[in-house]
Amino acid sequence: MEDGEENHNPKAHKKLLMAISSLGNVQHIQKSTRDERQTLQDEFQLGKGVRSAESHHKPRAVGLNDLVQILRASSKHIKTGRKLKNIQSTKKVLEKPLEKPAADRIRRTIGYEGVTKKLGRWDAVVAQQRSAETQIFPIPSETIYVNTAANAKSLKTSIQSALAKALEASKLKLHELRKAQIGDTADEKALAQQERELRQMKITRDELFARRKELAYLKMRESQKSARSRMQNKIKSKKFHKLQKRQKIHEQMKEIELLQKTNPEAALEKLNALEKIRVQERASLRHKNTGTWAKNLQMRAKYDRDVRKDLGEQLAVGRQLTEKKQESDSETEFKMTQDVQEEDKEYDPFNPWTKRKVAGKAPTEMAGQVSNWRKYWTERNQKAKLLEEDHKDLKDVQHVENVDIVEEKLKLDPKPKPSKIKLKKSKVSFENGWKVEKVYHETNVTGESKIIDNIFEGSEEKLRGKLTKKLKTLKLRTDRLKEAPAKSKKVKKKDSLKNLKHLAVKMTKKRVEVDEPLYYEIESQQQVDAANMGSDPEVAVDSAVDTIDISKVTTLVWAQKERSSGALNDALVNDDDAEYDEKDATTLHQLTISQAFEDDDIIADFNMEKTKDSELKNTELQLAMPGWGSWAGAGISQEVMERRNKRNTRLLLRLAAPEKRRDDNKDNLFINETSTKQARQHLVSSVPFPFRSLADYEASIRAPIGRNFVPETAFRMLTRPSVTTRKGQVIEPMDDSDLVKPERRLRHIVDKRIKRLPKVPQNSQKAKK
Amino acid sequence: MKVKMMSRNPDNYIRETKLQQHKLPRNYDPSLHPLEGPREYVRALNATKLDRVFAKPFVCNLSGHRDGVSCFGKHPKLLSALATGAYDGEVRIWDLANRLSARSFIAHNGFVRGIAYAKNGERIFTVGDDKTIKVWNSLAPEVGEEEEPVNTVQCRYGLHGISHNRKDNSFATCGEVCAIWDEQHNDPLKTLKWGVDTLHTISYNPVETNVLACCASDRSIILYDQREAQPLRRVLLTMKSNKLAWNPMEAFNFTVANEDCNLYTFDTRKLQTPLKVHFDHVSAVTDVDYAPTGREFVSASYDKTIRIYHAHQSHSRDIYHTKRMQHVVCVAWSLDNRYIFSGSDEMNVRMWKSNASEKLGIIRPRERSNFNYQEALKEKYAAHPQIKRIARHRQVPRHVLNAQRKMRAVKEKDQVKEANVRKHSKPGKVPYVSEKKKHVLKEEV
Repeated sequence: MEDGEENHNPKAHKKLLMAISSLGNVQHIQKSTRDERQTLQDEFQLGKGVRSAESHHKPRAVGLNDLVQILRASSKHIKTGRKLKNIQSTKKVLEKPLEKPAADRIRRTIGYEGVTKKLGRWDAVVAQQRSAETQIFPIPSETIYVNTAANAKSLKTSIQSALAKALEASKLKLHELRKAQIGDTADEKALAQQERELRQMKITRDELFARRKELAYLKMRESQKSARSRMQNKIKSKKFHKLQKRQKIHEQMKEIELLQKTNPEAALEKLNALEKIRVQERASLRHKNTGTWAKNLQMRAKYDRDVRKDLGEQLAVGRQLTEKKQESDSETEFKMTQDVQEEDKEYDPFNPWTKRKVAGKAPTEMAGQVSNWRKYWTERNQKAKLLEEDHKDLKDVQHVENVDIVEEKLKLDPKPKPSKIKLKKSKVSFENGWKVEKVYHETNVTGESKIIDNIFEGSEEKLRGKLTKKLKTLKLRTDRLKEAPAKSKKVKKKDSLKNLKHLAVKMTKKRVEVDEPLYYEIESQQQVDAANMGSDPEVAVDSAVDTIDISKVTTLVWAQKERSSGALNDALVNDDDAEYDEKDATTLHQLTISQAFEDDDIIADFNMEKTKDSELKNTELQLAMPGWGSWAGAGISQEVMERRNKRNTRLLLRLAAPEKRRDDNKDNLFINETSTKQARQHLVSSVPFPFRSLADYEASIRAPIGRNFVPETAFRMLTRPSVTTRKGQVIEPMDDSDLVKPERRLRHIVDKRIKRLPKVPQNSQKAKK
Repeated sequence: MKVKMMSRNPDNYIRETKLQQHKLPRNYDPSLHPLEGPREYVRALNATKLDRVFAKPFVCNLSGHRDGVSCFGKHPKLLSALATGAYDGEVRIWDLANRLSARSFIAHNGFVRGIAYAKNGERIFTVGDDKTIKVWNSLAPEVGEEEEPVNTVQCRYGLHGISHNRKDNSFATCGEVCAIWDEQHNDPLKTLKWGVDTLHTISYNPVETNVLACCASDRSIILYDQREAQPLRRVLLTMKSNKLAWNPMEAFNFTVANEDCNLYTFDTRKLQTPLKVHFDHVSAVTDVDYAPTGREFVSASYDKTIRIYHAHQSHSRDIYHTKRMQHVVCVAWSLDNRYIFSGSDEMNVRMWKSNASEKLGIIRPRERSNFNYQEALKEKYAAHPQIKRIARHRQVPRHVLNAQRKMRAVKEKDQVKEANVRKHSKPGKVPYVSEKKKHVLKEEV
């Protein structure tokens, strides 16, 4: 036994205990210790650290502080330790990068913005090209300067001129002389090569700089955006969050307003959801003691018992109110009238003042005033001044209305509060409408006064109705006022092609645009049609009917012509002719129409022609032939036949009702409608697309463009084609050189040097002065 | 009676030498030309008719391929060179001036998916279904030499298209990813990826040469910048876009050929709504290419027709078709704005005039001025019904007309239904959605 006791090994015992205690822990995998650098971490090494029985506190990572502590031990490293500490306190640790999808999205938006901006550069050129009256392709570019000297190849020896040979020989000689005298060993070709390389280097370096700059800019934008999206939630400023929340709510309200028009049900749902969120917020006990009043009370509550009590009461009231609100939230809302709803907007269950004002004070005040008012009138009625009072009352009503109107005009500022207006109005009307007198309380009301009372009630109701009506209109108007700026804002935000639209120049010469489907026909008839097209009978008709739409097309020309020809005639024609003309005119006057056509009964003819076609149109045509439908036998009666034929629509052709003639009601007028029928098919029935008015369109086709009618130069200008291309020439896509006018090439050496002057910013110049 | 004598001095109207032009004394006093309006109208009418008489756009047929034509490559400097790839892996280089096939070689196993010329036209890059990019010399090999690629790059990904930068030595391929390559390297400089869907077409912006766009098979269009590490933006349409072409004169506009028979022109800066929806095709639009002037573009369609659109109008200006032309797969507008090339399923490459009634060959100055006058007249009276009728009258194959009728019926039915629903629901509940907004589902950042 003793041996056993002696054998007791405390270490082994402890180990055993530990093993037993750790039996409860599920994890058997020990946290791995690392002794070698590994590129891959084994997933089994990521176990939870098993808490050792010895150490009571959690094992923690080595911090910077520990290192510093160690460093402090030797005087050599104290400085380093301090530095390390400094660094930790001053330098920021890099943020954890955003999640990949979010980061990608940001990168994409930035890239897209960049591209849109780049593409936006072309707006001006494109707008100009679109509005150009004539376009020439390939686009005539600016003058290109080519250094032909650089590309010049030396002539081949076989055809080298004597002069060239002499030149080369002299050059060689010079070179050798130099070599001999100064010891110049530079190879000219190598030099030239070096220079060229250098130049190239320079260009690439510039390009590199530009590229690096751009990259840096892009990177900066990206980091800005990501930082912004990350930081926004971390901002501690309450004001900021308040503003942001308000903005969000504002946006939602706007959305709801939009939805109200398109999808009212969804709008209602959304409104309900918003209201619910608000109620939850209010009920979340977050705003119980955050008001200024409550805070002040809290400050004083330490020292003042009464204040503490007040605060407690306030909290209790708040609790009570929340309970009530949550209970009756859904029920009351439906019951409320419009006016109440308006007031409800300002209603806050946790604000005792608003509550009292809305629920208790205002109505009682109103009621009190109304009752007083009524009593006052009943009292006065007792004095039997009925008629006079009535008159006065009528006047007063008018006065009230006037006051209302004035107030409305005053209150048309952007943010009116309808409920308040109402209160004010009622007050004003009561105070301004009547003189304040002492009110006698008398309860006995005679029958007479009852009637009058009724009258007054009626008038009161009327007044109230009027008020509500006016309020409604006012509210509508204010709503509209509110909506208008919101709409315009949205339009501004959305339009990404604004620049292009702004740049679009109004075309000086409008062209008709026919954007409608082609007129199709099946192919098999093609040849016949083609044959027709060549020697069309229509063509002959067309050329014969030259009077097509003179009246429409050449009105102005007509007017001009009449005037000018008159003047011309005056100048040219002899006096004799003029006399003759006068005589002719007088004789013409003497001849009447009846005299000219004595034999014919023209009036009868006239009327006959007028009624001719209408007669024809009135008839019903029997298409039935004798014997049709009569196989029942020869004895069938005529009546039955007729009835049957009438019923059978196929055998009876009923023509449409005759068209009304334009000269129907004018006895002595005959408008020949048939004469213009051929011309009508050549006339334009509606104003074609880009034109807005008939006058514009007529103006565009009025002036002739042919050689016969306008001078040669004008003809050339008027018939310039809208697109000119050259045969056998490749049209290159638009180039950067079309975008900007190239810089003027400086020829004089002084100009070049001036250009090369370093540009000193103006601020530094000022500073020097 | 007074007799008015007419006296004329021959010096005023007879030319002195044969080389001079006749003098034509004119009096432009409008009172002496009372019928100038009607005369010009008749001239315009006749010009329009003549225009239709001479409207014969088909120039020639380039035959030689032994399988359907799949893609085109335009030489950036030469007008007479065109490279075409076929479904059997053959590439042909055409001498357009002589209407001959100058050169042909088998470039790939399977389809040739894309051809692109280098920026100076010295090299040709082709991609095929065998996941290789091959670089060819644009000059034909010497007699007796084999056709061999200058360089072959084997890729890990499938390749569906290629586009070369107009100013740099870089090019881009698309397939499973969008990869930016340098001509000198055998590995891509950069691979850009957004989502997992196949990109089937790629196109560099010819003006702002760092920007490029892809169409993906998940119905989206993706914008890239070759300098960025990330794609820029993505737009999702209701149906797949087959091809994309940038406007060479308006750097920010591009047009996509869509599977839903329409083409959409977008502004890169405002992708929520297309600038214009181009209608009129009756089957999927397979390819689109801009005229070098940037004012018009041509589109090829599965409905066996080619249509020419004004870039800012929603209906086509012209339609080309022939009896034997099958589904048109690729289309290109020549760089001198005069010709259009179309490659179709039935192995032919066709050459068309871009302006159907244009006169080919030499045009004398007087002729030129007359053409100009006729053009001006046609433009002036374009809105007059008779002129409009003649100018816009087209013969189309029966199947196109039938398909059009069907589409119209469907559209009308939809409209009627929508109107009925609107009529019987609360006002404002069924909103009016413009045609432009219907086709873009969303823009992704």
